[in-house]
Amino acid sequence: MEAWIQFGQGPLFRFCFVIMLLGLLRIFILTVIGMVEALNRNPDKIVPYKELIKQTIAWLFPIKRLWTKRPIYGAVSFLFHIGLILVPLFYATHVLLWKNSVGFAWPSIPKSMADNLTLIVILAGITLFLMRVFYRPGRALSRKQDYVWPLLLVIPFITGYVCANAAVSPTFYQLMMLIHVLSADLIMVMIPFTKIAHCMLLPLSQLVTGISWKFPPGAGDRVIETLGYEDRPTWVEKPRLSRPLESVVKEEEVPAQ
Amino acid sequence: MRVPIITEEEREKAFAFPKPQEVVEKQKLPVRYHVEDFDVDDRPRRFLEAFAAILKHTNYRLAMEHYVRVSAKCSRCTTNCQIYLATGDEKDIPCKRSELLLSVYRRHFTVSGILRGRLTGDPGLTDEQIQEMAKSFWDCTACRRCYFECPMGIDHGLVTHLGRYILSEIGIAPRALVVSTREQLIGATGNTSAIPVPALLDTLEFLSEDMEEEKGIDIPFPIDQEGAEYLFVPAVSDFLMEADTLMGNAAVFRATGDSWTIGTGYFDGINYGLFYSDHVLEKALQKIKAEAERLKVKKILIGECGHASRSAKFFYPTFCGGKNALPVMNIMEYTHQMLKEGRLKLDPNVVTEKVTYHDPCNISRPGWIVNQPREILKAFCKNYVEMTPSGRNNICCGGGGGTVSIDEIRPYRTTVGGRAKAEQIRATGAKYCVAPCANCKKQLRELMEDNNIDCEIVGLHDLLYKAIIFDEVKKPEKVTEKEEK
Repeated sequence: MEAWIQFGQGPLFRFCFVIMLLGLLRIFILTVIGMVEALNRNPDKIVPYKELIKQTIAWLFPIKRLWTKRPIYGAVSFLFHIGLILVPLFYATHVLLWKNSVGFAWPSIPKSMADNLTLIVILAGITLFLMRVFYRPGRALSRKQDYVWPLLLVIPFITGYVCANAAVSPTFYQLMMLIHVLSADLIMVMIPFTKIAHCMLLPLSQLVTGISWKFPPGAGDRVIETLGYEDRPTWVEKPRLSRPLESVVKEEEVPAQ
Repeated sequence: MRVPIITEEEREKAFAFPKPQEVVEKQKLPVRYHVEDFDVDDRPRRFLEAFAAILKHTNYRLAMEHYVRVSAKCSRCTTNCQIYLATGDEKDIPCKRSELLLSVYRRHFTVSGILRGRLTGDPGLTDEQIQEMAKSFWDCTACRRCYFECPMGIDHGLVTHLGRYILSEIGIAPRALVVSTREQLIGATGNTSAIPVPALLDTLEFLSEDMEEEKGIDIPFPIDQEGAEYLFVPAVSDFLMEADTLMGNAAVFRATGDSWTIGTGYFDGINYGLFYSDHVLEKALQKIKAEAERLKVKKILIGECGHASRSAKFFYPTFCGGKNALPVMNIMEYTHQMLKEGRLKLDPNVVTEKVTYHDPCNISRPGWIVNQPREILKAFCKNYVEMTPSGRNNICCGGGGGTVSIDEIRPYRTTVGGRAKAEQIRATGAKYCVAPCANCKKQLRELMEDNNIDCEIVGLHDLLYKAIIFDEVKKPEKVTEKEEK
């Protein structure tokens, strides 16, 4: 089992970390490119950047905002995020691991603080899961990944807490450690491909929305041309009652990003 | 603010289905609004083609791609949508509404979605999904209040806007809007209300005479004046229904002495493109541009109308020349500026009743026109009260996003859409509710009527007209003397 833990902390960790980093960088860069392209398509460059950046900062540090609506959910989710960001990065043992893996280190937080944060994350994660299950609109919105994520995120915190604080038999300790390491690796590798990608994309969100309201001129004409309806825009009488035999665009022709 | 969910009785009334069953079956479309006949065969394929073509030529891919990645389904938007608060229906949660379109995007336009579809043998978009979208996207008033509560920055209004655009390209759009747009873009009169120019001139002359009688001073409506400072483009329905607003507008110009004009070539600010089609949006704005060029004006001034103002302010530069596009202003901005400069005098003793102000979503949501009308109103209304919430975070009148023009869904608008607004207005106890938007006015009047609330809905310039003071005349007799000389 020791070998597996070593593998999970070493090569597998590095692999997962690189996947996460590259994946997040990829979507970040793609989004930035998309924004630049969207702006270039448009002669009107008036984007309310000041307002959008203000909104971005307000949502990145939602200290004032979260309590206005659904305050309990807001508070729990806020604490959850704090712990999720701080403990993996700044817990002393982790800092050591980071040093061994990536080659450099940074200051760590005191163990008591890390322990408390861990407990908060565990409680908050389970609460968030339960709130999703028992809040009717939340249930209506949720996909599978929305239920899985809070529980999955809590696993490394529970096992990590047991390993760091409980006096358990060596075998149990190793088992806990293995789960801790592997679940953390799994989380990292999944981040760029699921909704947790918001950890990288959130700073761009408001800008994306702001820029998306810029419509390129002439697009409407090009759209109906592509569809083969250039003489039949939507406002003419009976615009599309007889359609051309061959459709012009096929799904595959539009490259997916 | 808390609004009780509609009762079963109200639900029945709001969602009643006045359309003949054979039409619904023929069009395979169980929606409450009327739709012109269109091709019903093979709809999913044609929807996807339209979606693909739109993604190819516009900027929506950026937003779609981003939204499918970050959407966290936190359900925070449930607290801010006046439709959901009224119905309590899960399908009315803004995020759920957006998911209708986002799921189509995910399935058909992302690599992982296409792969997953192939692997699982999922046939993809179904006709039922299209019917659901046609229903859902027109239940939303596109007021964009939910955007403020989305931590992920998802603008559900934008998703609704795109959804309606795609649907319109396959023939699904409310007949009321399509018919008006047809008249505006290719009809004989060239405006959405089908007002012929002679009728317009008659109306304006009549209004001028009226004003001379009331105010004792000649207040003209300048027509086709080349080289004027401002081209005035109100919502065209004002010429038919909002005479008081127009009189107020003209009176302001009479008092300030600035040159302005109404163009007989094109005098309609209404742009239903903002509600359902970017293509229409562009074409209608280009008509304003053509008229502005014909009359060589310096600025474009939009009347009291939310969507007309937003479509011109935020999309005129896009579609009509970028940096070189003429500046666009709203009449309230102009009046506010004149008041600040001291070129407008108002009598604070005329309007003594309790007055409140309704923010039209289209101009208040971007933070563009929020304080100006309040400062104008406070300058002459002694008894001004605010609604809660107000300003940028106001609640929609319930007729936003073009739904107010669809007369057949009035029960829906006045029981579901405007439920929160009705309670808000009732709570203020105001005599006048100022709603500087043609759509809001129509909706709010119907709302007051259907909910038995005693409050008169007026435009800002209607009230201002009562209070405006002209330096030249102290008493009407003096004018007649002047004229005799």
